[in-house]
Amino acid sequence: MDEQNKSGNIFKRVLSFLYHKVIVTIFHFLVSIPIAIGTFIKNLGASIWYFLKNLPGWIVYFLKNLPRWIWYFLKNLPRWTWNFLKNLYRWIRNFLEFLVIKIYSFFKYLVLKFVYFFINIYRAFREEPKAAFKGLSSFFLPGLGQARNKQWYKALPIFLVLLFFLVIEFATGSYMYALSGEIGDFPAAAGEPFYFFRDYGGFFTKGIWGLVTLGELVLGDMYRGETIVIYDKIFTWKSADNSQVLLGEGVIAFSMLLLLASVWYFSVKDAFHTHIDYVKTNKIEEYKDFVRRVWDDFFAYIIIIPAVILILFFTLIPFLFSFLVAFTNWTGRVSLGEQLFKWNGFGTFRLILESADWLKFFGDVLIWTVFYALMSSVTVYVLGFIQALIIESKYVVFKKFFRVMLIIPWAIPALISLMLFRNVFADNAGLFNQLLANAGLTDALRGFLTDIGLVGQASEGNILWLTGKENGMLAKSIIIIVNLWIGYPYFMMLTTGVLGTIPMSLYEAADIDGATDFQKFRFITFPWVLRATAPVIITTFTFNFNNFGAIYFLSGGGPGYPNDQIPESVRVLGAAPGQTDILISWIYKLTFQSTVNQYNLASVYSILIFVFIGLVAVYNLSKLKSFWEED
Amino acid sequence: MTMQEKLGRWFKRLTVKKVVFGSLVYGWLLLMMAIVFTPVLWMVSAAFTDATQLAQVPVIPKISEWSLVNYKELFTEKSGSDQVVSDYLKAFFTTFMIAATNTVLVVALSSLVGFAFSRYRFKGKKKVLLSMMGLQMFPSFMGMLALFMFFRQFGLLNNPFALTLIYVAGSIPYNTFIVRGFMRNIPKSLDEAAAIDGATNLQVMIKIIIPLAVPIMGFIAVNAFMQPWLDYILPSVIMPQRDTVAIWLFRFMDPLGHEYDPIKFMSGALFLAVPIMMVQIYMQRYLIYGLTQGADKG
Repeated sequence: MDEQNKSGNIFKRVLSFLYHKVIVTIFHFLVSIPIAIGTFIKNLGASIWYFLKNLPGWIVYFLKNLPRWIWYFLKNLPRWTWNFLKNLYRWIRNFLEFLVIKIYSFFKYLVLKFVYFFINIYRAFREEPKAAFKGLSSFFLPGLGQARNKQWYKALPIFLVLLFFLVIEFATGSYMYALSGEIGDFPAAAGEPFYFFRDYGGFFTKGIWGLVTLGELVLGDMYRGETIVIYDKIFTWKSADNSQVLLGEGVIAFSMLLLLASVWYFSVKDAFHTHIDYVKTNKIEEYKDFVRRVWDDFFAYIIIIPAVILILFFTLIPFLFSFLVAFTNWTGRVSLGEQLFKWNGFGTFRLILESADWLKFFGDVLIWTVFYALMSSVTVYVLGFIQALIIESKYVVFKKFFRVMLIIPWAIPALISLMLFRNVFADNAGLFNQLLANAGLTDALRGFLTDIGLVGQASEGNILWLTGKENGMLAKSIIIIVNLWIGYPYFMMLTTGVLGTIPMSLYEAADIDGATDFQKFRFITFPWVLRATAPVIITTFTFNFNNFGAIYFLSGGGPGYPNDQIPESVRVLGAAPGQTDILISWIYKLTFQSTVNQYNLASVYSILIFVFIGLVAVYNLSKLKSFWEED
Repeated sequence: MTMQEKLGRWFKRLTVKKVVFGSLVYGWLLLMMAIVFTPVLWMVSAAFTDATQLAQVPVIPKISEWSLVNYKELFTEKSGSDQVVSDYLKAFFTTFMIAATNTVLVVALSSLVGFAFSRYRFKGKKKVLLSMMGLQMFPSFMGMLALFMFFRQFGLLNNPFALTLIYVAGSIPYNTFIVRGFMRNIPKSLDEAAAIDGATNLQVMIKIIIPLAVPIMGFIAVNAFMQPWLDYILPSVIMPQRDTVAIWLFRFMDPLGHEYDPIKFMSGALFLAVPIMMVQIYMQRYLIYGLTQGADKG
C-alpha cells in the first residue's frame, strides 16, 4: 500500500466520522428541539390542568384538616411545654448535683490527703526508720537522700534544680549590699517599718513579699531617711513600688516555687521508696536500667512536657494573674508609682452584685449575650441544614458548583467579612443604604422597620443600621443576620458530610414500606443528622458566647445607650457598654480602652463568664460517653 | 441513545412536581448566591476603583473602568525610609512568618500530646484533659493583660516568635482533643504488633501512628496556619510597634483614627482574602473530615 492511498484513507475516515457522529448529532439535536419543546408544552398543559383540577380538592382537604391540626397542636402544647420544662428542670438538677458532688469530693479528697500525709510520715518513721531518715535527709537537702542511696544520677539533677533556684535568687537579689553595711548607713528610724526582702531580696523572696503586700512605698514617701523616687539606679530600694509589677513577678515566683516544692517532695518520696526497694531486693538500680525504665514507663509524661511548660507560662500563669486582679482595687485611676493598689477581698464582687446601676447593665448585657449566642447558633444551624438538604436534593444538577459557590462566606476570613459588613451597613456610603436610595425604597423600609419596632429614629435620611442610639434592636438584628451570612456554610458542610454517612439501606427499607419523601426526612434524615451534630451545636454556643470578633469588628459594641439611661456612677467611669456589647466585648472595653481601664471589674466579669461557661462545658464533656470510656 | 431520544426522555420525565420544586430550588439557590456575592463583588469593585469615597464605588464591578491605583499604593507605600518593602508587604511577611512557625509548632506539639492521651494510661490524665478544656473558657483578654506586662518586663514585646508561643499554648488543648479522638480509632493491635517486633515507644509513634494520622494533622495545620491572619486583638496588645496584616487592615477601618480609609482596607483585604480563600476551598475535604470526626467522637 503506497503513502497516498493510506493518507487518503485517513482523510476519508475522518470525514465520515465527522459526518456520522458530529454533524448527524447536531442535526438530530436541532430537529429535536422543537419536538422537545412541543412535548414540554404538551406536558406542561397537562400538568397545569392537573394542578388546576386538583387545586380545589387540595384546598378543601387543607381546610377540612386544619381544625384537626390546630386541635392536635393545642392538645399537645401543654404536654410539650411540660416535657420541655421537665427536661430543663432535670438538666439543671443534674448539673447542680454534679457540682455539689464534685466540690464535696474535691474537698474530701483534700482533707483526707492532708490527714494521711501526716499519718504516713508517722508510720514511715515507726515502721521503716532507716528509709524514713533517708527521706528526711532529702527533706533538708534535696538529692542528699539519693546520694546516700548511692544513686548519683538522681542526686545530681535534683541538686542542680535547687542550685538553679538559689543562683537566680542570689543573682537577682542584692544581699551583698546588705552585708556590706548599707543597712547601718541608712537606718530606719525607730518605730518605722523596715522591709528587708523589699530592699535586698532576690526574685523569689521579693516576689513573695510583693505578692503578699502589693508594695508599700510610693513616690515622695520617707523611708530610711531618704525620699522615694520613681527609679534609682544605685540604691534600688529608693525606687517606688509598682504594684502591677510586684503582683506579676509574685505570681511567677510563686508558680516556680511550687515547681521547686514538687521536685523537693519527689526527692523525699523517692529516697524513702528506693531504700525500701533496696531492703526487699538487695539491689540498687543501675544508671542504664533507670534511664530505660523512665523512657518506657514515663514516655507519656516526657512527650507532653513541652506542651505543659508552654501552657504553664502562656496560659496558666496569666490566668492566675488576672484571677488575682479581681480581688484588688486596681483600675486605670491608680497611677502606678505614685499610688498602689491593694488587696480588696470580695469588694468588687460586692459592688457589681449590690449596686443597682451595675446590675442593670450586667443584666442587659448578659441577656443579650445569651440571646445572641442562642440565636446565632440556632439560625446558622437551621439555614446550613436547609441549604445542605437543598443542594443534595435530586433537583439540583450542578451540585459541586453550588456547593463551592455557597461556602465562599466561610472561606473569606471572618475578620475581613465582618469589617466588610461594617462598610455594607455604613450610614451614608454603605452599600445597603446606596442600594435602597437607588431603588427609592429608603422611606418605605424605614416605615416598615418603625412599624415593627426595630427603628425609633427620626423619620429622615438614611437608616442608621449600626449607629443609631434609638435603633438598638435593629443593630442587634443586623448582627445576627451577618453572623448567619458568615456562619451557615460551616453547618452546610457539616450536614453535607453527615448526610453522606446515612446508610442507603434505611431509605430502601422506607421505600418498601411506602414512605413519602417527607416521612423519610422526618424519621430518618433529621434524627440522624441531629444526633451526629448535637455536640457541635453546644460547642458553637460556647464559641458564640465568647465571640468577641463578631461584635467588635462589626458594630464595635455600638450604638451606645442614650445618655439619660446611663446612671451617674457608671458614666463617671466611662464604663457603660454599648447596646450590642456582649460580655466579652464589654470586658475588652473595660480592660483595654484607655479611658476606662477598670481592670478589677473586667476581671470579676471574666471570672463570672468562666464559672458559667467553663462549668457547663466541663459538665457536658463529662457526660460524653466517649470521654470517659477507657482506652 | 441519540441526543434526540435523551432530550425527549428528559422532557417527558418533567412532571408538575419537578417543575415547581425545581424552579423553587433554583430560585432559592440563585437568591442565596445573590446575597452571598453582592457584598463580595462590591468589595472587588472597591478594590479596583480609583475612587476615594465609598459612595462613588459602583455596586457591580465595571471591568472597563478598573484601575490598579490602590494596589500601586499598597505595594510601594513605605513609612520608614530604610524599609525594603512596603508597609503592607512587611506586615504580610511578619504574619506569614508567625503563621508558618505556628503551624510547625502546633502540629508537632499537639500530635505528641494527642498521642500520649490516646495511647497511654497515666496518673492525672483525665484531670489534665478536663482542666485544659475548662481553662480555655476563661476570656483570653484577661490573660493578655498579664502577658503584656510579662513581655514588657522581659523585653519580648514586638517579638513575633513570642507571639507565636502564645498562639501555640492557646490552641494545644482543643487540638489535643481532636487528635486524641482520631488516634483512638487507630487499632491498638498495630502498636502491639510493632512492640512484639521490638519497636520502642518512640518508633511506634513516629513510624506507625503519625503516618496514619496525616489527615487530622492536615486539618490542624490548616487551622493553625489560618489563625494569625485573622487575629487582631492579641497582636495589637503584644506587638504595638510591629504590624501584622490584621492590625494594618483594622487601622483603616477605625472611624476614630486619622487614617480612616475604607477603600484602602478593601484593596488590602481582597489581596489577603484571595489566597486564603483558595487554600480554604482546596482544603475543604480535610476540614469536613475533621468536623465530622469531631462531631462523631466528641
